[in-house]
Amino acid sequence: MKRRNFVKAIAATGVASLLADNVLAAKNNPSLRFVRPPGSLSEDDFISRCIRCGQCGEICPNRCIKFFSFENGVASLDTPFIIPREQACILCMKCGEVCPTGAIKTIEREMHSILDNVKMGKARVDVNLCLSYQGKTCGVCYRACPLADVAIRTGMLEQPHVLDGCVGCGLCERSCIQIPQAIRIIPDHTRKQLKG
Amino acid sequence: MKYIVRHLNKVRWGVLMFIVGMLILLPYLHLYQSYEAAHAYDLLAPNEKVIYDSMEWLSKPFVKDPEHDLDNLKGTTWSGTLFGLKLSDPLAVVGQISAGRMIYWPFLLTALIPLLLTIVFGRFFCGWICPATFIYELNDNLAAWLRKIGLPVSKYKLDKRMKYYVLAAGIVISATFGMIAFAAIYPPAIIGREIYYSIALTGFSTGMVFFLFTLLFDLMVSRRGFCRYVCPGGALYSLLGRFRLLRIKRDVTTCNDCAKCNVVCQFGLDPLRDNFSQECNNCTACIAVCPTDALSFTLNIKDVKFQGPGHLGHEYKREIGSNDAV
Repeated sequence: MKRRNFVKAIAATGVASLLADNVLAAKNNPSLRFVRPPGSLSEDDFISRCIRCGQCGEICPNRCIKFFSFENGVASLDTPFIIPREQACILCMKCGEVCPTGAIKTIEREMHSILDNVKMGKARVDVNLCLSYQGKTCGVCYRACPLADVAIRTGMLEQPHVLDGCVGCGLCERSCIQIPQAIRIIPDHTRKQLKG
Repeated sequence: MKYIVRHLNKVRWGVLMFIVGMLILLPYLHLYQSYEAAHAYDLLAPNEKVIYDSMEWLSKPFVKDPEHDLDNLKGTTWSGTLFGLKLSDPLAVVGQISAGRMIYWPFLLTALIPLLLTIVFGRFFCGWICPATFIYELNDNLAAWLRKIGLPVSKYKLDKRMKYYVLAAGIVISATFGMIAFAAIYPPAIIGREIYYSIALTGFSTGMVFFLFTLLFDLMVSRRGFCRYVCPGGALYSLLGRFRLLRIKRDVTTCNDCAKCNVVCQFGLDPLRDNFSQECNNCTACIAVCPTDALSFTLNIKDVKFQGPGHLGHEYKREIGSNDAV
């Protein structure tokens, strides 16, 4: 290939990806509901910091961290994500320790530092689906929560109420016995998008 | 000393095999760790039990508490953790700085040791560590075999400077889109990741498709073409190792001009005419093949100029002969 052609090819690629902005970061795909590993920076910062080394997935003892192919656009290629319903985060904070670039912050495994720094999302209860709201006491999500009474509390008939302390680990969604699940994590990046 | 240098190429193959082996072993150790963390040996499927048992047998002499102790060994050659020491590829640092448009010092420092080694040993990563090199060299052996049976494989030569443009374009793309573009096209990063995906996750991902295309490129277009003409990491290492201290030198008094070194050099360099340049990755293949031990290591920050034909070769003897006649 001649150098001129080569430079042209590079320029063409650049222009094409500029045009296809929503291909590069498919931000309008609400059906793909994923969270980033605990302690991750906000979505754009995360994508620019992450070097796709995959060590967070390699150290996760719960094997909840998976890696994108092209599902979420080119920019997310090989970045880590968690689908809470498939396998939720147990907040062991090992991924932050191993991350070399600080895309996932190093956070002590202690309640207050987790509450302050982990922003994966927030759980939301669908009262039309939740068994406890249909008069059948359940309370499984409350019992699955690692931050019970800080992130979630139960009212009458074990009806769950999500509190401000929820960090979005997704263990409630993972453990919900209703199909489809009555409690879901709204990812942090989706919440920001909704707020505008 | 000469004996050791002659056999360094075999040592290099050993190192490459060890690294690829570790890349395959680490995902299995991770699986073992996760089974261990779940405390549910009885619930494992039969094939998972095989993994658990074999990894337990392998790691038992080295670790007391596998669930946590094995965390000391993670990652790939792109970026890894080695007993608390984090090491990264300098290309990862360059890409990350341009993508984030900021310098994160703890990460910059992880590339310090590889950087210093590159300044001394030049492009040694490409020959001695890169797990993709292992596969590319096997691919090159396949190409040699195909050539032998008469197929026109990898016969083109391109411009060596192309890879520097790839490096520059990668930096520009990373900075423009705020994502590290190198991670998607840098073979050692891809290989490390894909081995992990295939063993511990669902299977090979898109990177493998790209890697197969680079193998085809090597076969169809040019010998070791990707490393020589496209690889941005190779470009960075070449630049950093331009004034490397350790380089190969031809001893003109024992050289017999057989040109085996030129044939064996997969990077298409010209040891016969003392032309190693910044592209040489000190792989020692030419040293191993030299029948008269004329090639060896030397400490110098520059290549010597062409020393003329080897003293044991026909050309030199002819010259001497004519001098004698006068």
